[in-house]
Amino acid sequence: MNKRAGIGFYLFLVLFVFLVMFPFIWVFLTSIKPQSEIFSTFRWFTTNPSLDSYEAALTNRPLLRYMLNSFVVSGITTILSLAFASLTAYAVTRLPIKGKGLILGIVLASSMFPQIAIISPMFNLVTDLGLRNSYLGLVIPYITISLPLSIWILSTFFQKIPFELEESAKLDGATPFQTFRKIIFPLAAPGVFTTGILVFIAAWNEYLFALTINSDDVWRTVPVGISMFQSEFSVPWGDISAATVIVTIPIVVLVLLFQRRIVSGLTSGSVKE
Amino acid sequence: MKKKKRGFQLSEKQLGYAMVLPSLILVFIVVLWPVAQSFWNSMFDYRLNDPARSQLMMNANIDLERYVDNHFYIDRQLDDLATITDSEEAKETIAEIKHGVESYHATLISDEEIKGKVEKIDELLMNFTPITDSELKYSEVDNDFAADYRGALESYQQSLSTISESIDDEANSMKFMQTADLLGATGKTILKSNFIGFANYGKYFKDQRMWQSIGNTAFFTVISVALELVIGLAIALLINRAFKGRGIIRASVLIPWAIPTAVAAMMWGFLYDGQSGIVGHYLEAWNIIPNASWLLSTSEGSMFSIILADVWKTTPYMALLLLAGLQTIPQSLYEASDVDGANKFQQFWSITLPLLKSSILVALLFRTLDAFRVFDLIYVLTGGGPANATESISVYAYKTLFAQQNFGEGSVLSVIVFLCVAIISFIYVKFIGSDLFAGRTK
Repeated sequence: MNKRAGIGFYLFLVLFVFLVMFPFIWVFLTSIKPQSEIFSTFRWFTTNPSLDSYEAALTNRPLLRYMLNSFVVSGITTILSLAFASLTAYAVTRLPIKGKGLILGIVLASSMFPQIAIISPMFNLVTDLGLRNSYLGLVIPYITISLPLSIWILSTFFQKIPFELEESAKLDGATPFQTFRKIIFPLAAPGVFTTGILVFIAAWNEYLFALTINSDDVWRTVPVGISMFQSEFSVPWGDISAATVIVTIPIVVLVLLFQRRIVSGLTSGSVKE
Repeated sequence: MKKKKRGFQLSEKQLGYAMVLPSLILVFIVVLWPVAQSFWNSMFDYRLNDPARSQLMMNANIDLERYVDNHFYIDRQLDDLATITDSEEAKETIAEIKHGVESYHATLISDEEIKGKVEKIDELLMNFTPITDSELKYSEVDNDFAADYRGALESYQQSLSTISESIDDEANSMKFMQTADLLGATGKTILKSNFIGFANYGKYFKDQRMWQSIGNTAFFTVISVALELVIGLAIALLINRAFKGRGIIRASVLIPWAIPTAVAAMMWGFLYDGQSGIVGHYLEAWNIIPNASWLLSTSEGSMFSIILADVWKTTPYMALLLLAGLQTIPQSLYEASDVDGANKFQQFWSITLPLLKSSILVALLFRTLDAFRVFDLIYVLTGGGPANATESISVYAYKTLFAQQNFGEGSVLSVIVFLCVAIISFIYVKFIGSDLFAGRTK
């Protein structure tokens, strides 16, 4: 559209960004207040900032351990589901197999299944395998979310790669697997990377499985760990604010670095081109 | 040449299936099988915290670990009792019980498989090794035999306690009572089938709390998705133009979407807090709400709080999807309608909306399903309270499954969530049709 962006428009943008970022701003301002000020005033800026809340957040609970757990579980989940999904998405979009619609239908349906309908048999399965409170015990259920998601996004990216390249590779005598490895994969790598980011974020944010399967404090992931900060009798808002700031930083960095990719990944499935 | 090409085609096809297969197997194991299993579990009276119902039993079963352990003492205790009583009648009863238990036990171990298991368990128990293998621990037995044996043990328990009451000597009376209890406990190791079919469903059909949680979920879904659509569309329309600083807008839109819902819920919990929450403080100061604690301590207030937090977290995402849709609409259409003298409103209704329809429907589908499955936001922010006023069906299912350890009834609730989600997707897919697959298959 050719509409000019006037001063009113920029004022609107500032207001919009302020509203969206307000919870973060307030939580950050709270996290640097001294304990006594948090509960007594609603002043925005403190005159004597302190890092006490950060120290408390890092020492009262194994926050760094939660982040390590989240990182390892999400990392393994992402790598595994990308490996399986890239093969499947390639076959579904580019190889002459039957039942493509059915396969994608099953994948899409699986991604719509509510996790609560999967949790109890999955809990029994993981318990029987002796994998409660371990990384693998979360990776297995996380596949239920990440695999359909990866297949779905990757197949959009694979579809966009020109078919001519593949044809000429075939004419030059490349086997299908060589075509996949030497032509498609390098071209699809940005799409695979984007999918990886989205899968990683989805796994990082998962709550229900992490809550039930890894109940031991040292095996908790970030979302569960943070939600356990409140105790029955008192709510340490200073610690919570500091912990929230700490765990949000990696996400903010990720978003700032890869925002274009994330947007292209998110919207790839929703618009026809 | 022709032959070679055909061979190539065939192997390409086989390769294709080989590439699809691992994912399909995984999807089957981690998604389809658990859902089917949940449905199966929902037909049983299945509770993890009750040893008599902690297994799915189509037929009567016997808990061999406890049975063998108890049975070991029966014979000796009965012999003991025979020596301490003088009454002929009591002696006769004891002999009868002894004979009865012996003959039932003989029938039980006449099955070679059970006999083998009993011997193995006997050995393990002698070494004080707990039995963890449920294959070994439980054994299916004939329904009639189980009922007879259990009935017999119960009546033995009855007659021994009758004798115990008639004995004056306290120590001897105690001994009779102990053996009676032992026989009763042995009877309890013979488990009835806990298959109850659709009885659980009937129970929940009449359950007030289930209907309330469905109502809460539906209310939350409709209101928050509608708000997200309207606000998201407005934002998308406004920012669909060239301006400086798009990057900042994009980042600020993505951050709420990217942070874990549980973390967002904790943040909002702090903002809403009755004493030190800033949102409550300002809304009270501006006379929008009666007092700051209204937000989380009343049912309307908590529902409002949850919806606001959800709208904050997902509207940006909705705006992003719609913006991508808007950008695919060719500019020439608007130019042509300008020439025809259409105003902005007419352009919106006759160009933007129809062309945006499929983007809107796809965004709505994913958002509706997400909202209907809502768990973390409510679980962390209000825990379903106050007085279950914000309890969604997933939260109710979770509490039944893991707080009450009732896997049978909890599975009924999770199957209900599944059915609702299936119906919602079915309706949407009918509307969207084949567009959903556009751009994926040739």
